[in-house]
Amino acid sequence: MAVLPELGLVRSADLDEALAAVGYDHAPYAGGTELVPAMGLGLRRPVAIVDLKRVEALKGIEVDAEGGTVTIGAAVTHRRLSDHPDVQEHLPTLAAAASRVGNARVRSTGTVGGNLCFAEPRSDLGCVLLALGATAEVRSAGGARFLRIDELIVGAFETSLTENEILVSVTVPFEPPGMSYWKLQSYERPTLGVALVVTAEQWEVTVGAATERPTRAVLAAGDTAGLADFVDGLELSDDMTGPPDYKRSVLRAHLERALGTTR
Amino acid sequence: MTGSQAPTSTVVRCHVNGRDVEMLVPVRLTVAELLRDRLGLTGTKVSCEMQVCGVCTVLVDGNPVSSCATLACDLDGTEVLTVEGLARGRDLHPVQEAFMSANALQCGFCTPGFIMMAVGLLDTHPDADQADIREWMDGNLCRCTGYEPIETAVTVAASGLAAATAEAGR
Repeated sequence: MAVLPELGLVRSADLDEALAAVGYDHAPYAGGTELVPAMGLGLRRPVAIVDLKRVEALKGIEVDAEGGTVTIGAAVTHRRLSDHPDVQEHLPTLAAAASRVGNARVRSTGTVGGNLCFAEPRSDLGCVLLALGATAEVRSAGGARFLRIDELIVGAFETSLTENEILVSVTVPFEPPGMSYWKLQSYERPTLGVALVVTAEQWEVTVGAATERPTRAVLAAGDTAGLADFVDGLELSDDMTGPPDYKRSVLRAHLERALGTTR
Repeated sequence: MTGSQAPTSTVVRCHVNGRDVEMLVPVRLTVAELLRDRLGLTGTKVSCEMQVCGVCTVLVDGNPVSSCATLACDLDGTEVLTVEGLARGRDLHPVQEAFMSANALQCGFCTPGFIMMAVGLLDTHPDADQADIREWMDGNLCRCTGYEPIETAVTVAASGLAAATAEAGR
């Protein structure tokens, strides 16, 4: 077994304590699903972990019926997200995607915030949350910033968070009619994820997993030329699940079927 | 706060297979190391250390977790169940019985992990259907590749437990 190097533990009772503690060598820690293996491989060597699991402000799931949003704390696990009745009611596509993240063990401990902040491109939640128009609240001791998901995630394994910031929550508008999420997956992470919001007027297409970060296009319904340009312009990854051409073919086929534009 | 101020060990109080455990553990210690090296519970195996293979699965407050990728400090205040905690004396757990009757093991290395995943599934979803069973077991690897007997065993255990629940409710 890989033995982890010596590690300090900061258990923050509230958000202010956590914000005072996090830093370059003090890593925010919740589910540990990504951080513990990364430490085992020597990719991350924090002096201490700042445990966020006891910070109540990061654990809520709250509905704003008037504003039509659900605010999800960053330390909410995938299992709690997928099993929560309010999420199932107002964000059914997100609940369904969360119920199929990784495997049943990852869903026990892995968190929404951890998933977004690790910024592994092959993620379902980033794609679905971008499609839903979610807003991330990011805090430091100095104040708050509010970011779209594609402003939070800026590249593969890269976010716009500074070392003294913590992702607090994501606020997600209620799911619009005509939304779907589909993924191609043969290993523990998705190869390609596609979130669609299709109405009589508009096609909103969000592609994730095969791109460095989730990428969204808003097209007039029926704009097949614009859709083709979007698909052709995507920079798709080349990895053990297949080359870019293969992923682009699968993406085209899925879109033709889902949008009813089969040639 | 500087690094030198953060303690590198912490006290963990929890129940492991119903037994009280109170220990000072290093923060870097994983649950698998605590179970295997400090408590002698070697039924839990370790392989990929990436949360992929599932051989290290234990239940923490009823939820399956990868003990190789979970820190022991996180067990404070929890109920931990390992494969050693399933049998009652000489009476095996219904899931263990089902694995035996369906010949759902070959070399046996992955078996404790599959059994703990199945127990975790059936405890929380007694009405699990084939799709649920497949999705949960999909998170575990068997390199002898005997997946069909494993699916059969979990299906048999699910129907046995459903029948026992119906009997008890009568």
